[in-house]
This record gives sequence, structure tokens and C-alpha cells, in this order.
Amino acid sequence: MGLLYPGALIFFAIVPALVLAYLARERPVRVTVSSVLAFRALRGLRKERFGGLPRFNWMFLVELILLSMAVLAMAGPYIVRKSYPIAVVIDNSAAMQAKLDSGATRFEDAIGKISRRIAATDANGQITVFATAPTPHRIAAPFDSNTEALIAIRAMKPTDAPNDGNSVASLLGSLLSEGRFSKVIFVGSQAVADPVPPGLDTILVDDAIANLALGSFELRREMFGEEALHARIAVANFSSQPKQIEVVVEGDGRRLGDAHETLAAGESGSLEFRALTPASVYRATLMPDDAFPLDNVAYATGGSVKKVSILFITPMPADAAGLDSIPGVSVRTVAPGSFAPEDLRNADLAVFEYSAPKELPGVNSLIVMPPPGDPVFDFQTTPATAIQIAGWRSTDQLTDSVNFRMLNFGQGEFLGVHPWMAAVVSGQGGGLLLRGERQGHRFIATGFNPFPYLGRRNLPMSVLTLNILSYLAGLGASSGGYHTGQPWLVPAGVETVMLPSGRKVKATPGTLFTEVSAQGIYELSGPDVPATPRPVNLDDFAVSDFQSTPMLKVETHRAFASREGLTEKAPLSAMVLAAILAIGALEAMVVYRRRRKPLEA
Amino acid sequence: MFDLPDEFTPQFLARLEELRIRTRRQYAGMGKGAHLSPKRGSSLEFSDYRHYSTGDDFRHIDWGLYGRTDKYYIKLFKEEEDLLTYIFLDASASMMYPAADRKFERAVAIALALAYVALTSGDRVMIRVLAGSGQKLEPAFVYGRHRIVELARKLREIKPGGQYDFAQALAREMLSIRRAGKVFVVSDFLMMLNSVTKGLGLFLAASMDLTAVQILGGREIQGQGLEGDVEVVDSESGERMRVTVGSREREQYKQTLMRLTREIKSFCLKRGLHYSLHLTDQEFQSFFLRAVTDLGLAH
Repeated sequence: MGLLYPGALIFFAIVPALVLAYLARERPVRVTVSSVLAFRALRGLRKERFGGLPRFNWMFLVELILLSMAVLAMAGPYIVRKSYPIAVVIDNSAAMQAKLDSGATRFEDAIGKISRRIAATDANGQITVFATAPTPHRIAAPFDSNTEALIAIRAMKPTDAPNDGNSVASLLGSLLSEGRFSKVIFVGSQAVADPVPPGLDTILVDDAIANLALGSFELRREMFGEEALHARIAVANFSSQPKQIEVVVEGDGRRLGDAHETLAAGESGSLEFRALTPASVYRATLMPDDAFPLDNVAYATGGSVKKVSILFITPMPADAAGLDSIPGVSVRTVAPGSFAPEDLRNADLAVFEYSAPKELPGVNSLIVMPPPGDPVFDFQTTPATAIQIAGWRSTDQLTDSVNFRMLNFGQGEFLGVHPWMAAVVSGQGGGLLLRGERQGHRFIATGFNPFPYLGRRNLPMSVLTLNILSYLAGLGASSGGYHTGQPWLVPAGVETVMLPSGRKVKATPGTLFTEVSAQGIYELSGPDVPATPRPVNLDDFAVSDFQSTPMLKVETHRAFASREGLTEKAPLSAMVLAAILAIGALEAMVVYRRRRKPLEA
Repeated sequence: MFDLPDEFTPQFLARLEELRIRTRRQYAGMGKGAHLSPKRGSSLEFSDYRHYSTGDDFRHIDWGLYGRTDKYYIKLFKEEEDLLTYIFLDASASMMYPAADRKFERAVAIALALAYVALTSGDRVMIRVLAGSGQKLEPAFVYGRHRIVELARKLREIKPGGQYDFAQALAREMLSIRRAGKVFVVSDFLMMLNSVTKGLGLFLAASMDLTAVQILGGREIQGQGLEGDVEVVDSESGERMRVTVGSREREQYKQTLMRLTREIKSFCLKRGLHYSLHLTDQEFQSFFLRAVTDLGLAH
């Protein structure tokens, strides 16, 4: 028994003060009478106050008790009891969907094992259940009984998102270090590396059977705006035997092609599908089917069907001409003087030519030859009459297939070192093409003007321009893919996202969309935006490689407290307050009945 | 009126003049009066015969008896004398409380009324004040109705206060009383019962006719207006007592006080004494005229 806030006991000083006030109030009035003769006969009335027994007043006594109890409640009384709270961490990642020899999934196996363990545990403490995917989280408030915990655990489902091993290890380490649990049970497919910290009890599910997997499913066009698509699908054989695999690609439900490959044990490779006809949704299926169906399917969408809306802010509207010739691209021009940030609401990307926005744009943007010293980007520019390229990143998406030697910039400006944008192409006097990301958006600044877009008449510049626009539009390259468990920014104009399950979720443009734990096609829509499919894939061979699943390295920053149970302070304030209310109600009833009697009489 | 209490209106005085003091025994007076005296005298009430002696008044010879016996007998008659009336007025501190009841003023009024009855009947009155402060009345009889004003003036100067032992005080007074007569004791009798009986018993022993008039306040008998926790202080002894007064306690107090008065009344009536209880919330004139018999008066 103890007190959480013993300082509150100072209010007990009120009690003697109240008693003194009561006694003072009760001090008799002195009255001179003719004779005390008759008063002597008053039986039982001669009760002394100070220095003697005070007259018993049960209501005052009750109120004194209530006051004392209120002070006690303020002091936060508690009792110390021993409890055995348990933390259960359940791996619900995509890898747990793999089937075992028995036909059950790893997750079902895990649920069965942990259920038996909890059922056999002596229930004397709360059970807190955590899930690991898409990010480690507690599934509900701690359960007070084994039954409640079991009901919640059996209602859990595995996700399509992989585990973040570091996060899971960090969670286990935190739970062991907090000292709130007498035991931490981890049930999953990942073993814990030695030394296993004390207090951690690991339940491993059985090994999955051999697995074949699809990896990344990339669609790209050789040229921005070109209709034909080139697909590259990564495949892997994580079994111990060589396997002949077949991958079939379908577009909007129509079979578009297939490819075969023989992979040795543990080997990975890729299958190419050239000139896939345009379709809204592409689906790649691996055959034969195996124990882990999740990585036997991959999705992709064709960029050609997506309209890219460009807002071109320029004092020279003629420079925007030519972009309209790119298939699927629409351009709207606005003069810098009449531009307002609200204009970006229905744009996928913005081009600021000879100008800079007064606030950071809410869409991916290209800033062409910005004026010096703008308040948002604060570019340090050095004008030059003849600029020459000194270097570029040869393996970058922006420089891919660009023949820089054929480029003739003429006059332009060099961009000085920028705090958060890095140079991709540099000249003799500074950066010529900077790239960076801010607040989830991509930004490119150029010291030359790639516009107007001339297409094949200026092919080297057009390739660079299309690379820039592709990067800003998020099309093509591998970085444009979306993976389970990885949130993405809601594009402009999108207000609703339909999940693969068919459930619709409200979304706010510019914010992270986090309900991405299921693999499949997400449909993005808004009042001014047509329904746009977005593929989300598992796309991680690390998940599919059951044979070499990395072990969790759990580290604790504090020694595990005790396996023998923890002392827990159970607060009694609520009970004291309940008692106060009960006594108060009882007193009120008695007083009410007492006052009512004369009325009835 | 003439320093008399307000209750003494001309009409009330006229009604008092119709009253006289009645005694159960005959007492020798100090002069001619209206009360039969044990002395032989010249009243119309026959007393005895004796043989004629030389020098006796012929008018007192009973000629009828001479005819039957042929002897001269002189008829003797009782003397009619005034009555010596003693009025003992309690002026102790208890007569002052509760102040609102004005017990002492009412006691003075009763004493003056009794004195006026006696004086208008031609009796002699001596008022003795027990305790109190102020100019003491001289231990002398007054005679004549006009002396009532003098008595009233002197009694008005008396301030109740102090305490005394009732029995001892009356015993001391008895030493100065040389002749028996009618005695009125006006007091609240708020004292121990044995002290009361002992004091009143002294008059019985001296063959005096006694009327005890007990004065109690209207508020006093209802609990003195006390409520709740009070510390009561005895006005005479200074004794303090802490009590809690509620309706139940007030009733108990009243019953106790009434039992005390009943015991005093019982004591008086058993011994042939007159007893009358006056509560100050009663109307004085109507009380006095209705309680004539209890007061030992007669029309």
C-alpha cells in the first residue's frame, strides 16, 4: 500500500480545522437562568465539548469521513501486487502467407502455436498483442484475460506487406527494456540471433516449402509518349532444385504474351516482354503455382493510358508549344503574374520558365532558368553567354540515352551549390541540372532552356526533356513502382482510393496514403480526375527467399527486469471515489427520508 | 398611580377593598380591628360566662340566665382586633431571571395587593424583603391604607440580587417576630425542596397562618427560551452546567419544574396552608381576584 501523490495529504490539515470549526460552532451559549435546579434533571444532556466528549453528530462524522476519503483519493492510494503481463508479438507479414507441408499457412501455424501457449499460461496479468506488418503496432488495448486475447489473436489476418526486420527487432528490444512485461513472446518466421535476450520467448513457425517468385514488374517506354511498352519481370528460384518457370502477361484480362526460363537452385533472372500493346492493367502470373501465391503475381499499369497534365508558367507561352504533341500530355499555360498556387490543383507537374514560385509547389516541378535569389529555392545563378557541359551522371535516369556531346545550349546560367538539390549535369561554371526532393515532391532546376519541345528535330534535347518529364511524372523507371507497406503521396485531384478488396477510402491530395498493406490494383479517383489504376506489388525477393531469411538481432538497452513477475501499483482512487459516491448517496437518502417524515405526519 | 404598579387601577383597588384576609386561627392584634381575637372584648361574638363581680358593667349581666339560675353571670365577648400581617418578599437573584418574565415586579405587585387588602381592612402590615439590594424596609408594621404608597415606593427601590438560604433566612426573621399573625411568602421557591419545607415549617411551628405564593415566569416554565447547546449559569450560586436543549429536553425540563411546584403545593395543602401559583404570563388582576381563596383572602 502506498501513495502516488503523498503531497496531497497536506489537505488532511483541513480535517482538524473543520473539527475545530465544528467544535467552535458547537460551543454553547452562556445563559444565566433563575436556577439550574430543573436542568439537573435533564438526563443525558450534560455533554461537555472542549475537554470532554463531543456530542455525536453522525452526519458530521459521515462528512468528515467523506472529506478524509476525498483527500485520500487525491493522494492516489495504491496497492502493490504481483502480476505477469505478457507481450505477444505476432509476425503478420506477407511471408507468413506461405504454405507449409501440412497445407496450412505459416500464419495459421503461428496462431495455433501462440493460442496453445496463451491458453496454458496462468492468467495473472494483462496480455498485450503486437503485429509486425506493415509497421510494428499494437492491435488493441491490453487484454485483461486470456480469452479476450485469444479472440483478438484468432481474428488477426496476415498482410501482403513485408516485415521491416530492424523495426521488429527494435520493438522486441523496447518491450524487453521497458520492464513492463514479465515475458515477451515472439511468434514468426524469423529466428532471433544469439544471444537471445533474457525474457524473450521465440516461437518459430515451420519452414515453408520451396518457393518460386516474381520480383519487380517494370514497364517502361523507350521514349516518353511512345505507345509500345517494354516489360521486364524479375524471377527467382528459391528452391533447392532447378526449375522451369513460365510467366504469362495479361493486359486488361487479355493474354499478351508469355516467356519461359529455367532457373538453377537459388538463381534469379529477368524476363523481357517487348512491345506490349497498351492496356490499363497488366498482370504477370508465374507458373507453376507454389506454396507462396503472393509472389506468383505482379501488377503493372501502362503509363500511355495516363494523361499527364502540365501547368506551364511562363512569360513566353510559345515555349509550351510542342509538348501537346506528346501522346497523353496536356498543357495549360499561365503567365507568372496571374499564377496562383490553386492553379496547381489539377496539374500533375508544373514547369516554371524564367520564373520561380513564391511558395513550394504542391506538385513535382521543373524550374527553367530561375531568377536569382527567389525566396523559396534561393538559387545562386551566374549568367553565361556560352555554357559547356563538363560532366554528368552516366547511370542516372535523367541522363539515360542522352547524347550530351550533341547538345548545344548556347547561353544560359550556372546554378551554384544548393542546400538540398544535387547537380546531375554540371558545366564549367557550376550546375546545369539540379535535382532534389522536398516535402514528398520532386524538383528539377535547369540552367538552360529545353523548350520549346521540338521532337525529332532536336533529338538529344528532346530525349533529355522527356527524361525530365518522365522523372517528374513518375512514369517508367523502377522508382515509379509501389510496394506493399510503403505509403505514397496522394496525387492532385484524387479524393477516393479504392483498395484491391473493393473498399473505398477517402484520401487527401498531398498526404501520405498508408492503407497499402494489400497487393493488387488501387483505383484513384476524384471529381475532376478519371479513375486511375495504381499497381502495388510485393516486389521484394527478400520476402520470397524463405531459405535465407535474415535473423533478428534484438538488443536491449536495459537488463530485463524479471521473469518472476512484476510488482504493479494498482491504483485505488477509483474505488475510493466510488465509496465516496455510495456513502454520499446513502447519506442523501437518509436525510431525505428524515425530512420527509414530518410531511407525511 | 401614586407610585403603585400599573396594574393597580382604581377599579382594581376598589375590588381589593372588598376583600379581607381570612385566617384559620385567631390572633391577638395590636389594636381594634375586624378580626376576632383570642382576647375577651366587646364584640358581638359570645365567648364565655363568669360570675358577676363588683364593678362589672350591669349591661353585660345575662338576665335570662339570672331568671333560670337566680345568679348573676356576666357574658363575656371576644375581642376584635386588627391582624398582624407579615409579607415575606423574595428578592434573591433568581427573581430577576428570565428578565423578560419580570418576576420580581409581579411579586412586588402581589405583595402590594396583599398589603393593600390588609391595610384597607384595618390590619397592620409588615413587609420583609429577603435578600436583594437597596434601602431595606424597617421591621415595623404600617397601618392605614395611605401607607400603601409608601410601601410601593420603598419596594420599587429594591433590586433583586444575591442568594440566601431560605430556611435560615426565615429562621432569622422569626427571631424578630414577637407576635403571631398571618404570613404571606411570595417567592419563586426555586430552591431545594427540603429548604422550602423547612422554612415554611417554621411558621407552622410558630402557629402562624401561612399562604405561599409561588411566582414563576411564563418563559421560565417553558424552558427559558433556550435552544441547542447552552451553558446555563445559576443566577444565585453561579453553578454552570452545559446542556443541549431540544423539544424533548424542554418538555423534560418543564415536567421537572412542574413536579417541584406540585410538591410544594402538596406540602402546603397537607398542612392546611394556602398555596397559589402565579405565572407571569397570566393577567395579574384576573389572577388575583380569581385566586382569592387560594391566597387566603375572603370577600
